[in-house]
Amino acid sequence: MNRRGRMMADLDQDIRDYLELETKENIERGMSPEEARYAAQRKFGNVARVREATHEIWSVAWLKRFLQDVRFGVRTLSKRPQFTIAAILILALGIGASTVIFSVVQGAVLAPLPYREPQQLVWLAESRPNVERLDVSWPDFQDWQGQTRSFTSMACVAPFEFNLTSPGIAQPVTGFAVSSGFFRTLGIPLFIGRDFSLSDDQRHGAPEAILSYRFWQERFGSNQQVIGKSIILNGANYNVIGVLPKGFRFWSAADMYTSLIETYPKVYADRTLHALSAIGRLAPGFSLVQGQEELASVQSKLDRSYPTDDRSLGIRIDALKNILVGDTRGTLLLLLGAVGVVLLIACANVANLLLVRAMERAQEFAIRSALGASRGRLVRQLLTETTLLAFTGAVLGVAFARLGLLLILAQFGDELPRTASIGIDIPVLLFTLGVSFIVGVLFGLVPALRSSRVDVQSALKANGRGFVGSRLGAQGALVVLQIALALVLVAGVGLLLRTVHALSQVNPGFEISHVLTFRASLSPSLTGTTAGSQIAIRELLDRIGHLPGVEAADMTELVPLRGGDNSGPFWRSSQVPASIQDAPHALYFWTGPNYLRTMRIPLLRGRFFTPADTIETERVVVINSVLAKKYFSDKDPVGQMITVPHFGTAKIAGVVGYVKQWGLNDKGDYNPSQIYLSVYQLQDLPNPNLASSLTFVVRTPLDAGTIVPEIKKVIYGSAGDQAIYHVETMNEVVSESMSAQRFPMLLLSIFAGLALLLATVGIYGTISYSVTQRVREIGVRLALGASRWDVLRILLLRGIRLAGVGVLLGVMASVLLGRILPTFSHLLFGITANDPATLVAVSVVLLAVAAIACYIPSRRALRVDPMTALRYE
Amino acid sequence: MSTRDDDRVEILQGTLDMLILRTLLLGSRHGHAIAKSIEYNSRDVLQVDQGSLYPALHRLIRRGWIASEDGTSENNRRAKFYRLTAKGRRQLTVETGRWEKLSEAIARILKPAEQEGRP
Repeated sequence: MNRRGRMMADLDQDIRDYLELETKENIERGMSPEEARYAAQRKFGNVARVREATHEIWSVAWLKRFLQDVRFGVRTLSKRPQFTIAAILILALGIGASTVIFSVVQGAVLAPLPYREPQQLVWLAESRPNVERLDVSWPDFQDWQGQTRSFTSMACVAPFEFNLTSPGIAQPVTGFAVSSGFFRTLGIPLFIGRDFSLSDDQRHGAPEAILSYRFWQERFGSNQQVIGKSIILNGANYNVIGVLPKGFRFWSAADMYTSLIETYPKVYADRTLHALSAIGRLAPGFSLVQGQEELASVQSKLDRSYPTDDRSLGIRIDALKNILVGDTRGTLLLLLGAVGVVLLIACANVANLLLVRAMERAQEFAIRSALGASRGRLVRQLLTETTLLAFTGAVLGVAFARLGLLLILAQFGDELPRTASIGIDIPVLLFTLGVSFIVGVLFGLVPALRSSRVDVQSALKANGRGFVGSRLGAQGALVVLQIALALVLVAGVGLLLRTVHALSQVNPGFEISHVLTFRASLSPSLTGTTAGSQIAIRELLDRIGHLPGVEAADMTELVPLRGGDNSGPFWRSSQVPASIQDAPHALYFWTGPNYLRTMRIPLLRGRFFTPADTIETERVVVINSVLAKKYFSDKDPVGQMITVPHFGTAKIAGVVGYVKQWGLNDKGDYNPSQIYLSVYQLQDLPNPNLASSLTFVVRTPLDAGTIVPEIKKVIYGSAGDQAIYHVETMNEVVSESMSAQRFPMLLLSIFAGLALLLATVGIYGTISYSVTQRVREIGVRLALGASRWDVLRILLLRGIRLAGVGVLLGVMASVLLGRILPTFSHLLFGITANDPATLVAVSVVLLAVAAIACYIPSRRALRVDPMTALRYE
Repeated sequence: MSTRDDDRVEILQGTLDMLILRTLLLGSRHGHAIAKSIEYNSRDVLQVDQGSLYPALHRLIRRGWIASEDGTSENNRRAKFYRLTAKGRRQLTVETGRWEKLSEAIARILKPAEQEGRP
């Protein structure tokens, strides 16, 4: 029994005791026993009331009062369903929107990585002057691994796309080739089977593969017998040795992980081949800085030992999480700010409703105050009501948020990092709870403080309309706030719209429309040798090129605007650099003779490749205008010789225009030099997988739906184990390259729309209320001879004045925000954050909307009949 | 108006609390005996309302000024006996001091009124 129970039992005993003693005394005084008992009971009084009073002493008084307030709140709110539903809906929208964005930020940015002790995990990269992070070469990595103490383990990783041909039907698969320490570094134990071993990091081991849980389930029906069986990837046998736990994911979802060296044997001995990403786990007690210092000292030793390969290479270490989260961080924080603004507007809106409500309730407060309610009690009661509204709004908001999150993940899942950890989970719910509490107090406090400061006499006397003037001041301030905040959001949308417009005006260096791109994996039986691959590619392109409606087609390793990086050193053959790292770098485009015609890239000088350029003839390359201008400013580059490692010394056959590789907002500041090399002049394919997984571009006026089945027929027709996938039009590539803008633009548009709507409702409500309050005044004015137009002007001016102040404040806030925006977001292109045209346009839009919102209720004032208005009093 | 109402209740409550503490200074007693003792010592001027006596006792327990213990009453029944705690003893001094000050002040106010009232 609890203390209260014990005490109540004691009380009952005391009462019985009292009654018995009193009865006994009464009997001694000569009453009959029955009479004596009644007299005792009479003397004691109401037992129930004594029990109640004692009970209260032992109960938690504040909780009781709180529950009483809640009960009263529910009653009050349900008496005004229109007001209550409006307030709850507005709050649910604000809280729901905040919950969605917070859940994305929480999952993508804030939540720790789902690996063991994730704070110890780092991203290892090399660096070169002007290149912040350079992929790692395997020999360098091996030296790091052998010579450092501050890391418990390190691993290399490189993505792949393969054609799985056995067992079962041909299927393209994606995954990562990893060195043996990969899963150990992340601290992920295998679900079944064994991990890669050190022998996998040597040449001529057995190729091995570890399957993802999902792939194991879908392709092998969760059969444990698959361990030890072999699968064929691009014609090579891989032994399946294990399955990863459910839900494991590194960068992106992968079907499988293979042993690195067997997958990419070329990286093994080539110190100049920077093709791998690397991760490391810091030893306990070692910081990122210590790791960086130790690795840098190892790297400077390598610099001295291998001057031609490693001179001027540095080290760059980042927390793994920062790399995996990527640039989205700034955008997400921006959206979180935007949604906070929406929430604030929602609060201001509901506060406005509450103020109106408080005026209607002025008499109630006055009576309660007169009956002895203290001001604190009234404020507490009102805050309980608003918190009640906020929590109900939050519950509905979480339901909205679930829906919103589903939509966002469906629409933008590919563009967000770490989507697997995004969801409405405990931290998100705690956030929502906290927000709704703060919101409840925030929008409740001002009206509560105002309406609890009751002048009892005048409120009662004036029938509840004694203090209209002061309230409208607060309402006006709330309207100004809403307009200002809405303007900031609308201005943000305006800036993004202009950015997208500027991007769509950009010339990418080729003709976007009517180009289709797809990937195809060729039959391993055809691509065993470089010469065989070249024949297979040529024959396939021949057949695609002859399809009706196809104007031109070719293969390429890089699709412009997609941002794939394949850069390497080159030099004018007469100027051999001391170290390969000191040589200038360019982007290599491995392609064929029809590429230029397919993409319609302008040829500025000389010629492009022809079918006559083969392995038998002199090596030729085509350079772009940027490279020509920078490195051949002294003479005509056509006919000059340049050297490209792994390709040889070649004659420059022609010069073409600059093609944007890093998206439409590519300003040409990273590696703008470009070199085209013919795939038919390669002695040895630089990447053994190149031939088995090729990218094609096709120019055709036909739409994708018509031509793709024809192309499929050609590819499947030449060999049964070939696959075609990843079909996209160049227009789709372009819109993907704008995804950085697309995601925030859509969400920001929704938020701005919401903000504008709420602000409009706010100003409409305020003016509408003030018209109602001023019916008598209007009546008097009209009776005294004011024209209806005068009255309309007075009312309109008041609303527009409020809107004007709001717009002014909003513009000031926008300018201020525009100053700090570039420090954490690079969304804008072609305009500055303080673009005056955008701000002017947005201000005009807001003023116009406000004017309409004022005009509609003001018009009602014109219909006021002076006689009715005066009698109405 | 309300505050004055509240204050009056406070004074009554506080007075009853003080009287209970004073009564228990002489030794522990059960509830009925406390009421009888107050009535007897005030020569029946003060009538203790049972409706406020028991809640008052519980309030004092909650504040730690008195404690309850099991005992046997005059009619040989098990009953709750209340006794003063050390904290209650200190509180009684405070309450008594406050009461004396209050009654002196009231007396001072009332006396001149009597004088003025004389012809």
